[in-house]
Amino acid sequence: MKRLSAVVLAVVGLACGTVSANAQDKYPSKPVKILVPYAPGGATDIVARIIGEQMRQSLGQNFVVENKPGAFGIIAIEEMARSKPDGYTLMVGNVSTNAITPVIFPTKFKINYEKDIVPVGRLVDIPEFLLVTTTNNFPPKTHAELVDYAKQNKGKVRYGTVGVGSYPHYDMAYYAKKTGDLDMIAIHNKAGASGVIKDMMAGDAQAAFLNVASTAGMIKSGNLRPLALVNETRLPEYPDVPTMKEIGLPDVGTLAWQAMFAPAGTPKEVLEILQKASTAAMQTPAAQDAFKKQNFNVVPHKTLDEAKTWLAGELAQWKKITNEVKIEITD
Amino acid sequence: MELLDNLYIGLGVALQPMNLLFALIGCLIGTLIGVLPGIGPIATIAMLLPLTFHVEPTAGLIMLAGIFYGAQYGGSTTAILVNLPGETSSVVTCIDGHQMARQGRAGAALAIAALGSFFAGTVATMVIVLFAPPLAKIGASFGAPEYFSLMVLGLIAAVVLAHGSVLKAIAMIVLGLLLGLVGTDGNSGGTRFTFGINELTDGLDFAVMAIGVFGLGEIISNLMQPSAERSVLTQKITSLWPTRDDFRRAWPAVLRGTALGSILGILPGGGAALSSFAAYVLEKKVSKTPSQFGKGAVEGVAGPESANNAGAQTSFIPMLTLGLPGNAVMALMIGAMTIHGIQPGPQVMTERPALFWGMIASMWVGNLMLVIINLPLIGVWVQLLKLPYRFLYLCILLFCAIGVYTISNSASAVMIAAFFGVFGYMFARLECEPAPMVLGFVLGPLMEENLRKAMTVSSGDPMIFFQRPISLVLLILATVLLIIVAMPNIRSKREEAFQEG
Repeated sequence: MKRLSAVVLAVVGLACGTVSANAQDKYPSKPVKILVPYAPGGATDIVARIIGEQMRQSLGQNFVVENKPGAFGIIAIEEMARSKPDGYTLMVGNVSTNAITPVIFPTKFKINYEKDIVPVGRLVDIPEFLLVTTTNNFPPKTHAELVDYAKQNKGKVRYGTVGVGSYPHYDMAYYAKKTGDLDMIAIHNKAGASGVIKDMMAGDAQAAFLNVASTAGMIKSGNLRPLALVNETRLPEYPDVPTMKEIGLPDVGTLAWQAMFAPAGTPKEVLEILQKASTAAMQTPAAQDAFKKQNFNVVPHKTLDEAKTWLAGELAQWKKITNEVKIEITD
Repeated sequence: MELLDNLYIGLGVALQPMNLLFALIGCLIGTLIGVLPGIGPIATIAMLLPLTFHVEPTAGLIMLAGIFYGAQYGGSTTAILVNLPGETSSVVTCIDGHQMARQGRAGAALAIAALGSFFAGTVATMVIVLFAPPLAKIGASFGAPEYFSLMVLGLIAAVVLAHGSVLKAIAMIVLGLLLGLVGTDGNSGGTRFTFGINELTDGLDFAVMAIGVFGLGEIISNLMQPSAERSVLTQKITSLWPTRDDFRRAWPAVLRGTALGSILGILPGGGAALSSFAAYVLEKKVSKTPSQFGKGAVEGVAGPESANNAGAQTSFIPMLTLGLPGNAVMALMIGAMTIHGIQPGPQVMTERPALFWGMIASMWVGNLMLVIINLPLIGVWVQLLKLPYRFLYLCILLFCAIGVYTISNSASAVMIAAFFGVFGYMFARLECEPAPMVLGFVLGPLMEENLRKAMTVSSGDPMIFFQRPISLVLLILATVLLIIVAMPNIRSKREEAFQEG
């Protein structure tokens, strides 16, 4: 008897659920897909999963992360831009895929990047260090010493990057330009930040711009030395590391942002819901805790217009940087 | 005794009921996805990643490690039964393991693989406990010149992999190198051989190619046979258990494989991938009957499987101490660590001894669980081979398609795998072995990257390869190996000369 009533209850409950969903037809009424332009496990993927989990709790639908790596993010961006603009296909991308790629590879896109996608909002910023290796007979211990050393050893200082045209590459090239046209050599490693760290440990590279979370362990163990920080303020864990602004290079370095995007035709009401929900998601204790552990700054936008202005500014900034430091990339 | 202390800490953590449970869950999931051809651990772990946010980091990592190991055990199962390598290492297992299965000795191959892996896992755990800190340093000291020389050694060893014509083997290696060129050039950012297809910008995926060449190619070959002969089995299934002779031949191979794998595993990036190939080459060279290799030699399963597992185990050293993942699964583990605020670095060992040693000890516990799970399953797997081929191949095909799709959630990957299936069939008809090609494909890009990096470091002076001691030793070994490869030809020519005279 007990079981029968349970079944009846469940059926009635289900029926009510369907009716109410139909009656209101409120977004979201089915699972939402979040495309991530990287393989699972990286910073962008983790941010997407944390936000997705919190948004599931507040909006009552699953936010399913789907990894679509490849072609500097173009595969994920194009798939999102071409999907139905109903708010059920979103994307979480970062400064590389959603600002640098459109600027340096415009011809690789089959869509119009600036017209076909809209930002829902910036989610987090990842601060970055200018680092040098402490071993392998590399003496510089400060930013000034690095500049002097590079001037005295023209073409001898090698810096690690995560690939041609990646932001650590542009950051160092821009740094070199701003500190007196230093002659340094780029060593590329496709294996990401961990690959660059390996190159620095083995002596193949001596300096690099890398994000705080990936390097914290090696800094603590004394293998890498941070010379300067790309962030608005100093970090409490590293009170002695000056910011770029303090060493007189305010526009050098990238605060690697992660942001949410949607297809351009998505209804304004839906975008508003997403913007509010994602902002709220980042303020939840669970998300705050996870981001704090990795030194990610939570930087939500207050309105959709603010997000739009910000993205336009980012694209303009990268156009300026890529014009100033000409890195030759075979297209 | 520091050693005993570490082991004690580790086992104390690993044997906590909660951690045992997570290890078991990991091993079961891993075995399951490992035996489903093509469905790799990456998609599974990605789905489980959010779960690890909420559990204690040690338990979460133990579960992820269990999936990793379970998938490796399971992956060998599909390699042996249906010629489907899920990852680089099981390509070698296919060569002799699948031949054994065709001869009705799948049970023996599976048992040797499981026992050899367990032994290797046990030894490698001890190696980590004893030598982790100094080993981490050696691994980190490998720079671009050392890697390049190691890859040269590996490529020369690839010639030995083939059991037929040396010329064909070299041709296959070169083809592998060419396929490895597809994608973005590391130094200029330009794309090579992509024909404007965005999906090819990051190069061909190993698993996609391997599933095509081995799995799909095999299916086409089998379907070309008259339907009466279309069976995986060419002989009756004899015993499920290895014979005394099998054990006698396998144990020295297991020992050699374990040693080789433990050493190569500590090299971040590429080391673990080389280990099973290297072990196969070694076995073939020391064997008194090298002609049996490729036709179901039990050493050809025992050596590489042990090396692979030992390498997988020791590759946790660069992962935990430098944050250098050896493969995609480990990259996910690093993600799971950073989310808990644990930064990989040499200090993990000293600052979080419970996590570090607990994980190491749990790997051994996990290996033990896997042997216990897998040995009774052998009977079940072997029965699968009795399925009529017309059902079996459809299942394999379906799982391959699903597996290839989940690698990057891309339908074009399935098309690429199908394309390589045709290649695989052509190779079979031309009697060209695909294993050297796979090695060329894996080593080629690494070799190129390190060659160019080394030349940049030395400002274009090739002497750098001879000035670095480790690099020099590796190059000398490569030369010696080259001479050994050439030797049988020299010898046979000499014999011919005598006969004529």
